[in-house]
Amino acid sequence: MSDEIVRIKGTKSGLQLLFAAGATYAAIEKEIRAKLRAGSGFFCRGTVMHAMEGSLSKDEMEKLKRLFHESGVIFSVTRSRIPGATEWPVERPRRKSARAQKRPAEAAVQAEAAVPAENAPAEPAAVQASSADDEAVQMVVVNKTLRGGQEVRTKSSVLVCGNVNPGAQIIAGGSIDIRGTCRGLVHAGAFGNQKAFVVADHLIPTQIRIADLIARSPDDPQQIEKTARPERASIKDGQIVIEPIER
Amino acid sequence: MSEVIVITSGKGGVGKTTTTANLGMGLAMRGKNVVLVDTDTGLRNLDLLLGLENRIMYDLIDVTQGRVPYKKALVRHKKVENLFLLPTSQVKDKSAVNPEELVKLCEELRKEFDYILIDCPAGIEQGFQTAIAAADVAIVVTMPEISAVRDADKIIGELGRADKENIKLIVNRIRPQMVESGDMLDMDDINDILSIDCIGQVPDDKMVITSTNRGEPCITMDKSTAGQAYRNIVGRLLGEKVPFMTFPKEGFFSRLKHVFGM
Repeated sequence: MSDEIVRIKGTKSGLQLLFAAGATYAAIEKEIRAKLRAGSGFFCRGTVMHAMEGSLSKDEMEKLKRLFHESGVIFSVTRSRIPGATEWPVERPRRKSARAQKRPAEAAVQAEAAVPAENAPAEPAAVQASSADDEAVQMVVVNKTLRGGQEVRTKSSVLVCGNVNPGAQIIAGGSIDIRGTCRGLVHAGAFGNQKAFVVADHLIPTQIRIADLIARSPDDPQQIEKTARPERASIKDGQIVIEPIER
Repeated sequence: MSEVIVITSGKGGVGKTTTTANLGMGLAMRGKNVVLVDTDTGLRNLDLLLGLENRIMYDLIDVTQGRVPYKKALVRHKKVENLFLLPTSQVKDKSAVNPEELVKLCEELRKEFDYILIDCPAGIEQGFQTAIAAADVAIVVTMPEISAVRDADKIIGELGRADKENIKLIVNRIRPQMVESGDMLDMDDINDILSIDCIGQVPDDKMVITSTNRGEPCITMDKSTAGQAYRNIVGRLLGEKVPFMTFPKEGFFSRLKHVFGM
């Protein structure tokens, strides 16, 4: 074994963060900073980093989360081990969970049922634990292009690392972030959340719906142009407004 | 190492069967043992394109239902002797074959042939599901037209759902002049939406129609631009690096004709 304290394993649903046995938080943070600096090109924005719940305290997890967010990596605390990550001795007590594993986001695309709906009955106690954590856990990540006829339907927010093609649908209770071109139908805040928004690198959808409002693309195809900048659609003064953003 | 390739599109009339016939002929002319399997039961055309209609004795349904061994149903091509056709029935419909039967048949064919090309029916129903069941590689054929691209996108999604990861794209019937004048989707638009590996761009060519009627795939014609494009695709399938064809801009004479309003 090498003398690394922090190890990052690639798994199907993202990266898994593992800590060496008995490592202190200070040492862990130092090494993560070094890794982030060394691999600044490797950790592309939108990468999902999973860490085991219980391997560090809540406060420490929160600090790590902030640290990763600074480099654009999504940090997520999972309650169970990601399939594919190998065992590595960690001395700290860890909650070995017998609960159902978090479904990989991709499976949600095929299934009509929403991911949280399936998880919720299995872990009711954990959902109430902390609202900040839940937001991270409940985001549905789709790591592929959504093609015509495919649909994501969830109560939580959605992150798509890929395009949303014409004929595809996303219906989300929260917001929708698309790291790619959006040409399909997107409905954010589908259960009445007026504060939900839609962000995409190129926002040219057939329809945008936010909460109970609908906006559609212009009828004249000449007016639809591929914008150079990411755009954000949200509700302002009772109508859907699209504005360019930096990210 | 044999390979099962399915040629599919979703939309009808984009040139699945033409592509199957030409690629099959091309691979056979390069010395490979090739069998073409028509799964468009009830609407078979592949035999016509190859000019083999009058030689059919048994069909795919006879084979999958165990009436004859597959070797009896194979039709050898008139000129290219390592090209075979396994035709389908014109009287039955697509429910006559199921995916398991086709997978089993392809396993047998793999022992004898280098390439097994499956001509898929249009649509996304049972016929499509059957045709893709055995495939290692899927070739999606589309046209530079919005509905064909939309259907191709849907098909790529369906292929992904069936765990077919190796998907290639052929864009058929491109009219360079219309692309030039912005009246037709260009390759960038198509790649932008479909974002899969493109292995061929075939121009619209009158010779395709004459060759279809004659029962000789246009890949055999030296002068056909579509034939040249298909030859390039065959090269790419065999692992060669062939640059894409550049379409000639509108020539001097045709521009002159425009000027004089001819």
